Amino acid sequence: MMATSLPGRKGPPAIAVAGKSILYLFLIILAVLQVFPLLWVFDYSILKSGDLFGPELLKITNHPQWGNYQRAWVNGKILRYFINSAIVVGVSVLASTVISFFSAYAITRMKGKLVPLALVAVTLGMVVPIHTTLLPNFIWFSYFHLIDTHLGLIIPYVAFTLSFNTLIYIGQLRTLPRSMEESAFIDGCSWPRILWSIVAPMSVPATITVFVMTFLNNWNEFIMAYTYIATDNLRTLPFAIIKFQGEYSSDYAVQFACMFLVAVVPLVLYFIFSRQIMAGATAGALKG
Amino acid sequence: MKRIAVALLALCIAGALGAQAKVTLKMGDNLSDRSTGWGAVVEQINTEFKAANPGVDIVTESYPDQPYQEKIKIYATAKQLPDVFKYWSFSTLLKPLADSGFVLPLNKADFAKYNYVPGSLESNVWGGKLYGIPVSADFWVIYYNQKLFKDAGVTVPTTIEDLEAMAPKFKAKGIIPIVTDGKDAWPLSIIYDVLCERVNGDFSRQQAALDRKAKFTDPDFVEGARQYVKFMQSGLFADDLTVSDYGASRNLFGQEKAAMYIMGPWEMGLATDPSFSDEFRANVNAFKFPVLKNGKGKIDDLEAWFGGNYVISSASKNKDLDLKYLKYYAERFPVLAWQQHAAFPAQKITTLDSDTPVAKTLVKILGDAKMTSGTTTIDRGTPQFKDDHQNFIRELSSGLITAEEFCKKIDASAETASKQ
Amino acid sequence: MKGLFGNEKVSAALVLPGLLVIIFSLVVPVGFAAYYSLTNWQGFGKFHVVGLANYRQILSADPVFWRALMNAFILMVITIVIQNPVAFALAAVLSHITEKASRIFRTVFFVPAVLSLVVVAKLWVSIFNPTYGILNKVLVAVGLKSIAFSWLSNPHTALGAVIWIIIWQGFGWALLFYYTGLMTVPREIEEATRVDGAGWLQAYLRVIIPFMFPVISAVLVIDVISCLKQMELIFLTTAGGPGMLTQFVSVYLYQKAFVAGQYGYGNALSVLFVIVAVGVTLVVQRLLGRNDDSL
Repeated sequence: MMATSLPGRKGPPAIAVAGKSILYLFLIILAVLQVFPLLWVFDYSILKSGDLFGPELLKITNHPQWGNYQRAWVNGKILRYFINSAIVVGVSVLASTVISFFSAYAITRMKGKLVPLALVAVTLGMVVPIHTTLLPNFIWFSYFHLIDTHLGLIIPYVAFTLSFNTLIYIGQLRTLPRSMEESAFIDGCSWPRILWSIVAPMSVPATITVFVMTFLNNWNEFIMAYTYIATDNLRTLPFAIIKFQGEYSSDYAVQFACMFLVAVVPLVLYFIFSRQIMAGATAGALKG
Repeated sequence: MKRIAVALLALCIAGALGAQAKVTLKMGDNLSDRSTGWGAVVEQINTEFKAANPGVDIVTESYPDQPYQEKIKIYATAKQLPDVFKYWSFSTLLKPLADSGFVLPLNKADFAKYNYVPGSLESNVWGGKLYGIPVSADFWVIYYNQKLFKDAGVTVPTTIEDLEAMAPKFKAKGIIPIVTDGKDAWPLSIIYDVLCERVNGDFSRQQAALDRKAKFTDPDFVEGARQYVKFMQSGLFADDLTVSDYGASRNLFGQEKAAMYIMGPWEMGLATDPSFSDEFRANVNAFKFPVLKNGKGKIDDLEAWFGGNYVISSASKNKDLDLKYLKYYAERFPVLAWQQHAAFPAQKITTLDSDTPVAKTLVKILGDAKMTSGTTTIDRGTPQFKDDHQNFIRELSSGLITAEEFCKKIDASAETASKQ
Repeated sequence: MKGLFGNEKVSAALVLPGLLVIIFSLVVPVGFAAYYSLTNWQGFGKFHVVGLANYRQILSADPVFWRALMNAFILMVITIVIQNPVAFALAAVLSHITEKASRIFRTVFFVPAVLSLVVVAKLWVSIFNPTYGILNKVLVAVGLKSIAFSWLSNPHTALGAVIWIIIWQGFGWALLFYYTGLMTVPREIEEATRVDGAGWLQAYLRVIIPFMFPVISAVLVIDVISCLKQMELIFLTTAGGPGMLTQFVSVYLYQKAFVAGQYGYGNALSVLFVIVAVGVTLVVQRLLGRNDDSL
């Protein structure tokens, strides 16, 4: 990483101590504005359903309804859905990352006959609206017995994230000189070795972005999940929120408890892995 | 001897296995929450049915309205419809499914003994055949908070003009006079329906216009639109009506920030909803939609229809079981639904002493009705007509078009619909 | 080094998985959609082939389609001219403060991106509520009652309000892209700018940003396509209203295909959308200049 690992590097030299305080103040204000929605969700999740959507944006309550979380966990089958989400999203993220890395490498470096076709596919894959694919895919996937299976959800999850991920990797790879791969090849390295030991470590920043993007897009994905899955035991986390929706009135507070639980997982993961990511990125940069 | 013993044993095992052989009844509905309300009632019915029919298992897929409709349509195309599913009786929703042969016609005589409200079974009849059993009686009323009325010094209005005059009194107290779900637009379309009837006193005019025997640009419809605009501009509604969704508007009423809530009888649960304060629950009641001073519509002309029903898929492999289930549902639903204030059944209700004031009022309003509308206009045409109508009523409510322009647009849409 | 990068087998192996997945899950359904777009199907039951009638109607008699494209274009401009530079600047600032503070801030700034769009929509509908929303409450309190509009339902402010929500939610993403983008800059290059004695602004403009140009290009292309594809946030706040003023193509095609029963028409909208979006992508790439790497 840039500045922070180098001692003495304090950024734009003109920033005095006062300037730095103003900067931090500004960042803190911005941070409050950005984190506010999470506070809002949490606040609503401990109110009574009838108290939501009222005149106050944040209602401070004397009787926090912790039971909402209990109901969310039990009636919302959070654990079961969480496991399913972990499986579906986990596999999708890995698959999408690897496949898009390969495609991006081919598009950036290789001259094969299929490469232009890959480019066309990636461009096309970026622009397809999800709703357009629901009915055709339902019928098409049915032929392969993919409906109501996790695999039948993983495949479109990978497909819809491939294009943007490939684009990110292309952006990254174009900043890397070919010399490393060329010298490795001369040294006798095999292709898998070149990709895994040389190119991949230098592409860690892009991998971070791809991981986070794919994870989040699929973690919150609901439309394909409810269309392709019918069996309750296979459902993913966003569906927990639905469990509390009645035909007319719904148990809103519990829905918010579910939403909070759904949102907290990626945030915690993001925070935890930030440090690992930084270490990996720094190591990668060193090699350059 | 040994052979006979083995044979007998095999027979016993086969018999036991046969008795264990589970038939799974696949169901679909829009009742995702199974712990309260209508969803809980269905769960109870299912539990009782399974107990009375060992070897039968019931698996239900539930989604909110819009995703549910989409999935049913996809299932229909993919030939994977549930055996029994909850649906709507409207020509925009049930008729297309019935026309394409996806729904099993039923025998009206089978359901004669379940005390259906007159007109309810008929709303599921297409081309002379019965396609489903109605489950709810829906009609348009105005809920109100008695305490807020007293505080503002007003009484229940019998005319629209009186109602409009009440607006400033509530606003002076910082209370929104009326809330409703403007975001989904259909409540607004129904309000327009009612106002037209208050002008012309004739519910059949809407169908006549759809059949192209009359036009939506006829004077009575234009006057209805003008009355609608007046209603919208009288200060009765909040500025953000068209983005205020179902939950938000209901909660505003429950939090006593709004004095009135225009909705159907399924909201009688307001009086027993533990989310709201005791004070609110004790003060919620309802009144009939008022009339226009110089209009032909009368107070007991009721905008009423039968929206929800249960149907059987024509491709079901368990048709006899499905029918058995429907009959059981028809028998138990009115009792359980009324007890738990989960829904207003389309069958004869046995009132209880424990009924809340608002529940009693609702029964009375329906009982007093001298003339009913049947299916609402937006659901009498094609899905495209419904979508257009909802878009136009939103434009009218936002003041983007005039009453006359609205009527022209509706009429053009009806013309297109009649050709489809 | 023709041999290395000209290896047919390797390039095929690298490209095939992605190609297959995209064909299987995306190209096939679009093919179906193209077929359905030639009919007046309602999504189930019988239908009639109507040829190009849907397309003719969209292109000549459907102002909503064009308005939707215009709205996407406006969103694109604001995203590229305002959101991205601000996010970039913030990313740069975050890369110069202490690691721990940077990590905390980065996580916090990312919150809106992590929340589901349903939550974001509900939150802003609440904030923009004309009577009870906190925005108007603040405006009235400081004496600005005259601009305390009904933000999401007023024809003059609706588009701006919706665009604000989209920009706000996407900000965390832009920050992520540019922060990791800055990480692609090798230390030597960054050190070299200081050795030169150049000021930090010069360093960025002359060296760092040009170095990051491929990354920035990728982000811009993603931005442009995302703006066109916007669906949930509009659907959950204004549903394209009032009067189709805030309509976007993905919302419109959904309403036509699934709500209005005009499935064939909705699919024609989809096909046209794909064509327009691919066209826009090619234009943007041309504007950003192409290497022989393309894209």
